[in-house]
Amino acid sequence: METPYTDHLSPEDFEHVYEPAEDSFLLLDALEKDLEYLDRLQPRLCVELGSGSGVIITALAKKLAGFSMCLATDINPKACNATRRTATRNGARLDSIRCSLADALRPRSVDVLLFNPPYVVTSDEELQTHQFDSHSESSTDRNLVFSWAGGQDGRRVTDILLKQLDDILSPRGVLYLLLLRENKPEEIIKYLEGLQFRAVKFMERRIPGEHLCILKVTRCSASS
Amino acid sequence: MKLSTYNFLTSMAIKGVKVGFPLKLTISKKEVVESEFNPTFMERILPKLDWSAVYGAAQVAELTEDIPAVQPENIGENELLLQKLHHLLFEIDVLEGQLECPETGRVFPITDGIPNMLLNEDEV
Repeated sequence: METPYTDHLSPEDFEHVYEPAEDSFLLLDALEKDLEYLDRLQPRLCVELGSGSGVIITALAKKLAGFSMCLATDINPKACNATRRTATRNGARLDSIRCSLADALRPRSVDVLLFNPPYVVTSDEELQTHQFDSHSESSTDRNLVFSWAGGQDGRRVTDILLKQLDDILSPRGVLYLLLLRENKPEEIIKYLEGLQFRAVKFMERRIPGEHLCILKVTRCSASS
Repeated sequence: MKLSTYNFLTSMAIKGVKVGFPLKLTISKKEVVESEFNPTFMERILPKLDWSAVYGAAQVAELTEDIPAVQPENIGENELLLQKLHHLLFEIDVLEGQLECPETGRVFPITDGIPNMLLNEDEV
């Protein structure tokens, strides 16, 4: 998979939208490594939650061009717009939707779900004092906090998604989820087992200051 | 927003809404973007689409001459219809317009091609 061009995005864009970093590239590498699996899966609908600049879903949309529908969601209007521009700049076919997680999507429709969540461990107050202003079209700097601040264990948003996962994934759907060691991946794997999902650490990477991994999550009932 | 995307959007996250589908679509500005037709993919994606929302989109886009109200059988053998569906679902990009919840009337604007489906805290 080719890393999409981002030269259309300016430093000003990155004041409001998360700039692709090591975590983004790890998720890209995981998808690249699993392309054979994705080929066999023949996904019809791929969705990235919190797409930010849009590099990940754009790379996947390019790779699956003509074989899959790709959608991106984000609560931040500037991220939705950046994703749309990144798709256009790279000739990828995908649509951008402003919503929280997969709230606006028909239940059990997603075959491939990607999520690089706000995973940094912060105080819950940090999230609560920064209510996302959904009325404002001119998202301010304080909205960028939602791209990284994860509350207790860095899990506030991830836990909401995991609870909804059964309603989001199609019967053969798969989730690629980026986590930090501090998010307690083992605890998440156990939790998902209880919900009839099989979760494995698909890829790990140490970068200065962070130990990242990608969880690959499928339904126990799905044949692989 | 392509009309294939429209087929996957619901307002069921609103408190009290049961189905929230199909949303009532209004188009005030659209453009046609050419994209490659792949009959195999069209055939594969169709079982995942809701035909009433496909036909609803055709009505709003004024393409009902091309799209039958009821999904025909053996659609995979009808390449001409698959091509027309491809045009409707993947080549029409809605730039400005709105989506309306069929149960509450809540309106979701579409601006610069992006539907804003984000709900306020008191709505969920």
